[in-house]
Amino acid sequence: MISANSASAEKWNLRLYTAGQSPKSLAALANLKRVCDEHLAGRYTIEVVDLLKNPRLAKDDQIVAIPTLVRKLPEPLRRLVGDLSDTERTLVGLQLRPRS
Amino acid sequence: METVNPTLENELQHLRERLQEAEEMHRAISHGEVDAFVVGPGGNGRVLLLANAYQRYRQLVERMQQGAVTATPDGQILFANQRFADMLDVPLAQMYTAPLESYVGLGDRARLSRFLMLSARDSRIEVELARRDGSSIPIRLSVASFADGYATVLVTDLRPMQWPSLAVGALDSIRTSVEKLNRSLAGDAAARDTLRDISEEINGLARMIDQMLDVEAMGGPRK
Repeated sequence: MISANSASAEKWNLRLYTAGQSPKSLAALANLKRVCDEHLAGRYTIEVVDLLKNPRLAKDDQIVAIPTLVRKLPEPLRRLVGDLSDTERTLVGLQLRPRS
Repeated sequence: METVNPTLENELQHLRERLQEAEEMHRAISHGEVDAFVVGPGGNGRVLLLANAYQRYRQLVERMQQGAVTATPDGQILFANQRFADMLDVPLAQMYTAPLESYVGLGDRARLSRFLMLSARDSRIEVELARRDGSSIPIRLSVASFADGYATVLVTDLRPMQWPSLAVGALDSIRTSVEKLNRSLAGDAAARDTLRDISEEINGLARMIDQMLDVEAMGGPRK
């Protein structure tokens, strides 16, 4: 597991799969930016992939439900499904906080 | 001490992660945290939006001042907004599955059919909308989107765009009358001054309308 300490030097590459500007997609992006600004300031990139424009891209990361966040880096790859409204769950899912 | 086969250990770890992901997805779905799904095999997936994902846009379309209609290639109305129903003075519920061509003038129906069959984004035609009371409204149909064989068309009432031209015509007519009056009042200086003032006001109004027409022309070509 990546601890907060070991994560401090790493670059984070995140990809958020959205469905246009659906309410849950917008909420997920807003929640993700907030979490990243608080916990990964200056060390993250977010790529937004709009599956309404190009649904074929869903295959790359085996996306089934939208929104889905994929942590590409640091490895291992992790997927978080949903609008990321539960900050605690998001931090645990991204392995920025240990599972209690 | 019992040793565990490393391959089995890795497989077990992989399956645990897959299970965790599946449980997480189940939780997100049951908590209403997703509003779309990717369905379909392999790279041919399609995105299906849940009804609540459309809600905001639906409200926007329902309340906008332009008419909106989604029709099948053979012209059946699948969706129309309130504004379009108001233009026709027909109850909205009555329009669903009705042929769109029944709401345009007889002379425009063949053109409308071709337009719906060959719809391409940004294509447009102008037709007469046939209202229930027998009157008609000039409208422009513009394709906003075309997907799965269905054209979503914006309906613009062209009457407001014709008003400046009508106003220019009316002003020209008034100007002619004033000039005629001016000639017949050749000997009355006070009346001529008053008429000159009226004439200048008319010219000012005409310039204002010309400017309005220029602004409109910059916003998009008038067909």
